[in-house]
Amino acid sequence: MGLAADEALRRVDTAVGNRLLEQRVNHGQVDITVAPENVVDVVTALRDVEFLACRFFTFLTGVDRSEFTDEPGGLEVLIHLYSVEHIFHVNVHVPVGSEEPICPSIAGLFRGAIWQERECHEMFGIEFEGNSNLSNLMLPEDFEGHPLRRSFKLPSRFVKAWPGAKDPEEALAGGR
Amino acid sequence: MATTEDRVPEASEVAAQVSRGALLTEEMVLNVGPQHPATHGVFRLLATLDGEVLVDAEPVIGYMHRGYEKLVEARDYRQITNLVSRMDWLSGINNELPLALALERLMEIEVPPRAQYMRVAMCEMNRILNHLMFFASFGAELGAITPTFYAFREREDIQMAMEMTTGGRMHFGFFRPGGLKEDAPKGFFRQALKGVRQVIERLPDYENLLLGNEIFKQRTVDVGILPQDIAYSYGVSGPIARGSDISFDVRKDEPYSSYNHFEFDVQSAPNGDCFDRFWVLLHEVVESAKIVEQAIEGMPEGPVMGKVPRVVQAPKGEIYVRTENPLGELGMYLVSDGDRRPYRLKFRTPSYSNVSALPYVLRNTYVSDMIAILGSFFFVLGDIDR
Repeated sequence: MGLAADEALRRVDTAVGNRLLEQRVNHGQVDITVAPENVVDVVTALRDVEFLACRFFTFLTGVDRSEFTDEPGGLEVLIHLYSVEHIFHVNVHVPVGSEEPICPSIAGLFRGAIWQERECHEMFGIEFEGNSNLSNLMLPEDFEGHPLRRSFKLPSRFVKAWPGAKDPEEALAGGR
Repeated sequence: MATTEDRVPEASEVAAQVSRGALLTEEMVLNVGPQHPATHGVFRLLATLDGEVLVDAEPVIGYMHRGYEKLVEARDYRQITNLVSRMDWLSGINNELPLALALERLMEIEVPPRAQYMRVAMCEMNRILNHLMFFASFGAELGAITPTFYAFREREDIQMAMEMTTGGRMHFGFFRPGGLKEDAPKGFFRQALKGVRQVIERLPDYENLLLGNEIFKQRTVDVGILPQDIAYSYGVSGPIARGSDISFDVRKDEPYSSYNHFEFDVQSAPNGDCFDRFWVLLHEVVESAKIVEQAIEGMPEGPVMGKVPRVVQAPKGEIYVRTENPLGELGMYLVSDGDRRPYRLKFRTPSYSNVSALPYVLRNTYVSDMIAILGSFFFVLGDIDR
């Protein structure tokens, strides 16, 4: 069985605590928030420090928090790393704002990020400084817009009633 | 490179050189796919060749991109079950599990033991179906058509057990947040046991068929080596990672759905070549069959559905849930805004991360090994493109 989440958080705090904006345990995993300028440092430490050894690159993606009801935010880069050796997870949240979102690339640290930053770039319009190839991965070359941003609406949701709705008003509102 | 000038020579000049008997030694870009029998779907590979050596290989994906991560934001959780089962279409029921788990953990729903055991049995049966399919296709890609017929014969009994329970052969739509759609019908247990016992009994023969075959060995041993640190760096998981001596299995490391009740071994192999990846795949079939046996023999009585509110509405929160899919770690990162639809649902699919390591593995290999390497990466296009 894996490391208890509290212990994992304590270790992360020892290694990179002074460079974190926020830290907590969420559903048994370590959740940290890091400013863009510290991402490379923090991720390097998570990977290389012996008592952390988060060497498995799970994924990199984005989250657009602009329509979040409680505290709407901007775009965020989310990096998930896993320590195969000590069995614990770290979610690295990197808020990058909404205007000109830029995040330093971690493709030099984890090869898996080469593709996933390309995907994040086309889907959210986030720039990754240091990744030389940010051409479209999934989308056609001439695709316009960033589909996973909340401001990008699916056209069919405007013209068709929502089939999953319980009552007619909701169906006509397109489920929104 | 033969040309010392920067400009690209005209076709007529090249033709003139060739007619004078000159040997052309330029690099050439070979386009494989998007329609190619060895790629299991629309997958394209841009291979730069220097003679017979691949100096560079760039997979081009996205031909089957269906925008699932956007679609799910406009659908409620009940509808998403059927979408996710179409990601990796060879292991439909395995795809449904992380979604159910994520909702159960956010909504704090307790799943009855019988449902947990049924889930394990069905996931492992689906894993056998998936692995036997790759056993068939990998053989066929290397020129041996016989495994295909045997694999499909063994698949059929298990396939029938799945069909009599769910009504589907590929897309099952059977797991619900809180449990299962319904209990297994009469005859399911007998049919499933018959299927897995046959697999256990006959698998040694199939092993000899390929693993003991000299031609097969020559085409796969020491071909397409994926070193351990590179596998970590790309996030490669599943049988492909375990073929590179990484004994990493979510079912053991973080057991979900009662996996800790069953005895099984995590298979791994040391060399990271095509042979080892295939060795692991084949040996996992027996382990899965053992788990199905244990689950059915120890099947608890009781309901198959927990106490679930009428409307599935996840409270505010974020959670990352992962399961061991037949091809590797399938993860779902769910951001819930307290709605009946996810605010954001990220699918971390195994084939996508695994295939991203192909440029590294294919570099400096021979063209003749390319198909063996592609085949040994066991990917499903729907799982890559989502």
